[in-house]
Amino acid sequence: MQYEILAKPAATVVKIHMNAGEHLTCEVGAMVAMSTRMTVETTTQKKGSSGGGIMKGLKRLFAGESLFINHFTAREDGQFIILGPTMMGDIIHHRLDNATLIVQGGSWLASDPDITIDASFQGLGKAFFSGEGAFWVKCSGSGDLFMNSFGAIYPVEVDGDYIVDTGHIVAFEDTLNFSVQKASDSWISSFLSGEGLVCRFQGKGIVYCQSHNPSSFGFAIGPSLTPRQA
Amino acid sequence: MSFTITQRPDFALVTVNMKAGEKFYSEPGAMATMTPNIELTASLKGGLMSSLSRGLGGESLIISTYEAKGDGEITFAAGQPGDAVHYALDGSVDIMLQRGAYLANSEGVEVTSKWQGMRGFFSGEGLILLKAHGNGDLFFNSYGAIIEIDVEEEVYVDTGFIVAFESTLNYNVTTLPGARPGTNWKSLFLGGEGLVCRFSGRGKVWIQTRQIATYLNWVHPFRPVQRNNG
Repeated sequence: MQYEILAKPAATVVKIHMNAGEHLTCEVGAMVAMSTRMTVETTTQKKGSSGGGIMKGLKRLFAGESLFINHFTAREDGQFIILGPTMMGDIIHHRLDNATLIVQGGSWLASDPDITIDASFQGLGKAFFSGEGAFWVKCSGSGDLFMNSFGAIYPVEVDGDYIVDTGHIVAFEDTLNFSVQKASDSWISSFLSGEGLVCRFQGKGIVYCQSHNPSSFGFAIGPSLTPRQA
Repeated sequence: MSFTITQRPDFALVTVNMKAGEKFYSEPGAMATMTPNIELTASLKGGLMSSLSRGLGGESLIISTYEAKGDGEITFAAGQPGDAVHYALDGSVDIMLQRGAYLANSEGVEVTSKWQGMRGFFSGEGLILLKAHGNGDLFFNSYGAIIEIDVEEEVYVDTGFIVAFESTLNYNVTTLPGARPGTNWKSLFLGGEGLVCRFSGRGKVWIQTRQIATYLNWVHPFRPVQRNNG
């Protein structure tokens, strides 16, 4: 499987070339264009952020508590697919080699089907999430993985301790220990600084960060928009 | 007339250099700067019927006309951040433009709508197309970057990502294989990629790497909620 990352860095898409029998798993809605000798199958996974309890099936499906995944299979050689995210920003490739990467739900774009995807990952706790529908995808195994960001994306090689605002995390290796904490010692400072909760990583491993926080952008423009029905 | 396109692909700016006596046309509001010897008028270009036809194509009824009283320069930019592409029409091939993709044209180019009937209806906001034909220069724009695909056999493009295509191509709105009603209903209704345009034959398709509609869906939860007093 070969790939090209095009139109960097703000309107980035990835073009993946596939030969007969090759598969790709990607976020539903990410397909921009593709060749025609491919088949598509859709499956769902329950997201980790969804509260327990009894939900009516359809309501759950449409309420964004399931992750919809498309599986593309090339039936012939020389096929391609172009994938793009919703937000303005970049795409990065990460090669997993018998390892685990924990990816923020909105940043997971596509991966090799040999990589196991678990959207029910709860390790960071619900307190972690500032927005509804935020979730994490635990990607384990070996193969190619593509992630997208809001704004620029950059890796940080953590060796020791490092703090990242939760809204700026794209992904991190599970070799790192992590804990969610207040940004400042006092709750008042944490709140006033606008940072709220941050993630403290410890150990050795890569954290991918994004330059901009999608929720901050949403909260910045939201009040200027016309009201919606509840 | 000569031109350059700079700041591609995120913030494309089209600069047109005009000789005295030349005319140029654009969608209203697209002009960013111009020399004072350019005379701007807004009109129902081509008369009422031609204007209504453009309106049906999802574009403004009004066209801005620029007449150079001396050698001068105009710059154009679209309302949204994105790319711009130039196409030299020579009378042999027409260009079909997706709603909102029209930016500007030189003398000798006619832009009219092409009613799509049920095909247009099926694609939702979709394939309400404008047709550009004649001899001259055409400029069209996008949200996100524009990628040119040279179709040699056939290709699928999600209907929301089509910017323009050559009239030599055959096209029809369809569902992805494996996503046909009755075989896998989930892919059609929940797959998010239910409706695609299948282009076949030989010719070029220009696609955009982002879509305003999905961005608006993302913004929606950040809107204030309507309060019902009493």
